[in-house]
Amino acid sequence: MKNTIRITQEMIDRYGKINGDNDIIHYDHAYAVKRGFRGTLLHGPHMSAFAAELGAKRFGKDWHYHGKLYTRWVGPVCPGDVFEVELADDGTVSANAGGQRAMTGSATLRKSG
Amino acid sequence: MTRPSEIKPREDSTPGTPYAGFAIGRDLGETRFTITPEIAEEYFRAVDADRALYRIDGRQAAAPNVLFPYMTCALYRTYPPIQGIVMGEVEIEFHHPIWADEDTEVVATGRILDKFERKGRRYVRWEEEFRRADGQLLAKLVNTFHVPE
Repeated sequence: MKNTIRITQEMIDRYGKINGDNDIIHYDHAYAVKRGFRGTLLHGPHMSAFAAELGAKRFGKDWHYHGKLYTRWVGPVCPGDVFEVELADDGTVSANAGGQRAMTGSATLRKSG
Repeated sequence: MTRPSEIKPREDSTPGTPYAGFAIGRDLGETRFTITPEIAEEYFRAVDADRALYRIDGRQAAAPNVLFPYMTCALYRTYPPIQGIVMGEVEIEFHHPIWADEDTEVVATGRILDKFERKGRRYVRWEEEFRRADGQLLAKLVNTFHVPE
């Protein structure tokens, strides 16, 4: 299963509001470019939330009791990017944005419960 | 209701912690917060979630990852952040629903597991547990982040 989301600065700001951070790499384009990125960055846990949604969709109630999500943020996601996240049948998570791999990981159930 | 901003030191609000300041094995200060129906709803909106996916036997639960905005509260209260921290990875296990129709008092605890350099970058790895005030385990995680020079 797959989800495709077009990322905007408004989405980053909305997440930042509940996240409560003041890390300007998410909000200050000039600073982000100075740090070597294409633009401001989507928060890593925000990316993970899109993968977690696929876990909830696949596993339903079990996700709340036995869900296990691993995400590694390997590439930047910036406003204007189309973020594509996929949960494969074997539980592998992969996500791309801006023509690059942005996130890898897995969404599975713990066997021991 | 506890908003993460109420309990999480913000970048530049205090002198931040350089890489050398993180001590392996040190416990993070216990941090308490309350997830309310309003927070659950705001998080749904913040991550464009489909609420219908989080109904359990007819009862509305929060997205279990509603804990993510609180993830660094205990960490940053012990080690105030500097600008430019970049998150590397997280593994989180969910153990019990957080209900979206009631207040849930959460107690977060954790400790620094490791710090290391890889490809010229400095990283800190730490773990955290989230429990309800009655002791019920809600979730636990391990996170790694990069501390800029």
